[in-house]
Amino acid sequence: MSASIYSRLGGDAAVDAAVDVFYRKVLADPRISDFFDDVDMDRQRAKQKAFLSFAFGGPNAYTGKDMRAAHARMKLSELHFNAVMEHLGATLTELGVPADLIAEAAAIALSVKGDIISS
Amino acid sequence: MSRTNLLFEGTSYPLESGESVLDCLLRHGQAVNSLCRSGACQSCMLKATAGAVPAAAQVGLKDAWKKQGCFLACVCRPQEALSVERCEVAGTHSATVTRVRSLGANVLGVWLSRPAGFEFHAGQFVQLARPSDGLKRAYSIASLPSESELELHVAVLPNGQMSGWLSTAIGEEVSVCGPFGECFYQEDEADRPLVLAGTGTGLSPLVGVLRAAARHGHRGRISLFHGSPKPSGIYLRSELAALGEQLPGLELFGSVLSGEESELGTQERWQIEQAPLDQMLLSRYPKFDAHRLFLCGHPTLVQALRKRAYLAGAPLARIHCDAFAPPHST
Repeated sequence: MSASIYSRLGGDAAVDAAVDVFYRKVLADPRISDFFDDVDMDRQRAKQKAFLSFAFGGPNAYTGKDMRAAHARMKLSELHFNAVMEHLGATLTELGVPADLIAEAAAIALSVKGDIISS
Repeated sequence: MSRTNLLFEGTSYPLESGESVLDCLLRHGQAVNSLCRSGACQSCMLKATAGAVPAAAQVGLKDAWKKQGCFLACVCRPQEALSVERCEVAGTHSATVTRVRSLGANVLGVWLSRPAGFEFHAGQFVQLARPSDGLKRAYSIASLPSESELELHVAVLPNGQMSGWLSTAIGEEVSVCGPFGECFYQEDEADRPLVLAGTGTGLSPLVGVLRAAARHGHRGRISLFHGSPKPSGIYLRSELAALGEQLPGLELFGSVLSGEESELGTQERWQIEQAPLDQMLLSRYPKFDAHRLFLCGHPTLVQALRKRAYLAGAPLARIHCDAFAPPHST
């Protein structure tokens, strides 16, 4: 298996650069901003960073159970999930990440769709 | 080789070789929050009170938190003995009310003797308790640690139990728990532009920041925005204007909801306008880059301004907030 996107992008520093671009996009998107409009923005940003690190195949210990527990209350639909996927793609495009790596990150994020959407 | 010792809130737990602080505490049945377990989500943040925290356990934390000893337990593998506690734990001290004086419309200045061993940064807050019945309120410290008294600004509310009592409490003893919060001046950045905004007694932590900036010879631009319903609530005007002698980059703005023509406009170093505080601030600062921001006072305004500032380019690590509970008259 080749190295993770995480290490190819430049590890923690790359995620740190990406998280503000990403978090600003979701905060400014009326479809989903309410879910991210946390009173504690520092902690919310940290959660987004953990998510990006996960999508990049970086260090994380998320389990399906964590993902389901964290999102169940929000009653999320396909629309919400797709909005986040759009912003993930747009963020990486903006940062000049090559298309094949973006596709790889999107595939990882897609793999947890079932744990996030309430069906 | 003996095992490294972890002291958690007074109890000793030996760490296994290479074990993280989080794993050790969970193994002993301590309830500590955690989620990603990889040093990213910050759910497991704790505070060290003694011993050296490995640098790896503070990666990504705000400087203000690092200075208070905060670290991430899931990636903290101490090489030597470490004393830790939950972040909200703070010491309790006893102090005496030495002076009280009105500072402006509905604002009471209250000075306390500084308790021995009480360490803080100007702008942090404390929880003040009345010993007779345990009545508690939170107040920010506007004075410097080098002074012999703690200066607090108390909002005077109709039928306010604490504010009413404090107004005649000279000589009374109070208990002081703290300090808390991250609204304080960073001593090592004299050229950084600062933006300070607060409503009502949300000015008190900002005064602490300003005094600390003056003491450390701050050279960068500092814009202070203070909001109050009426011009009479824009308090400590002369004193803050006088800080301009030591702070060449200081600009002072007052935002009021209503006022007479004669009370608006430029006075001393102040520019008083009848305009919402967020509008006044954002019209002068449509973009942020190197700025550090301090936002204090009414929670709705603080949350809204933080979000706007973040979307306008300020990184969250340089936005320090202190939202005061909305005034209530219980």
